[in-house]
Amino acid sequence: MEENKNLTAERSLEIITEQIERSRRNITSNSSCSLICWGTCVFVFALLIAYLWKNHGGPAWNALWGVMWILGYVGEWFISKNKQPVPKNFVSNTIGQVWATFGMFMGVIGFIFGLAGCGLLPVAFTVSGDHFNAHLYVNLTSIISLCFGIASTITGFILKNRIVQVCGFIAGLGGFFVALQYPWSEQLYVMAAVAFIGLIVPGLVIYFQNQK
Amino acid sequence: MFQPLDPLLHSELRLAIMSLLISADEAEFPYIKEQTGATAGNLSVQIDKLTTAGYIEVEKTFKGRRPCTLCRLTPQGRQAFEQYVEALRSYLEVK
Repeated sequence: MEENKNLTAERSLEIITEQIERSRRNITSNSSCSLICWGTCVFVFALLIAYLWKNHGGPAWNALWGVMWILGYVGEWFISKNKQPVPKNFVSNTIGQVWATFGMFMGVIGFIFGLAGCGLLPVAFTVSGDHFNAHLYVNLTSIISLCFGIASTITGFILKNRIVQVCGFIAGLGGFFVALQYPWSEQLYVMAAVAFIGLIVPGLVIYFQNQK
Repeated sequence: MFQPLDPLLHSELRLAIMSLLISADEAEFPYIKEQTGATAGNLSVQIDKLTTAGYIEVEKTFKGRRPCTLCRLTPQGRQAFEQYVEALRSYLEVK
């Protein structure tokens, strides 16, 4: 761009619009990389753990989720190190905070369920009353699916993207109810589907919609 | 009645830099260079002018071992940009 003393009002407006739009696209597109990275991690690990759980032991393989966290962070660090730095704005910061909150909550819940898996905390409860007697259990995949859906739908609202909103809604509520039907290793297939619909698809949609 | 346009912002490159920074918290020098398509020398000169006017602030830092120049808009720069856009409206008769 050269110095131009005869800049018209129309050209000025064009420069402003073009730069703001380009910047918005770059920043939004950059936000999608984390969604795709983490979605792929969850998808692959859910299928891997489901296979190992079913064929080589039992639910102890769920400890591999800890490995996924480490791999996900290393992968994200590696991606951010090797790509052109893209600035942040309110939208990208808010999306990052929504998913960081989700990650934090899931980390704590996963840890608590890990303790439960070791027999240190209860995950099933018996509720008795005058008119009913019910045995309740906590389904972790249902809870995670619901949180996935909430975070994904909020992301859709921040980006004003209907496809992401719908994906989040389907992943959250669909995952919640379907996972309730499968209390054993099959629920990990539901988790893989939730990661695909709630993270990978929105990530790809955001990425391709914001390409030049 | 036309409002006067800020002469400092009424330049393609300086306007592009300001527009870029208004939509981001801060941006690194190579990013601004890539987005505006300007040469490093020309960009440095224009950034210096905007810094002297108090429209943007520049922070020299390090990213690992590499030097990193960060630019961000100041409240004064934001106000000047808003006034410039307001003045443009009067030229374009946009309400």
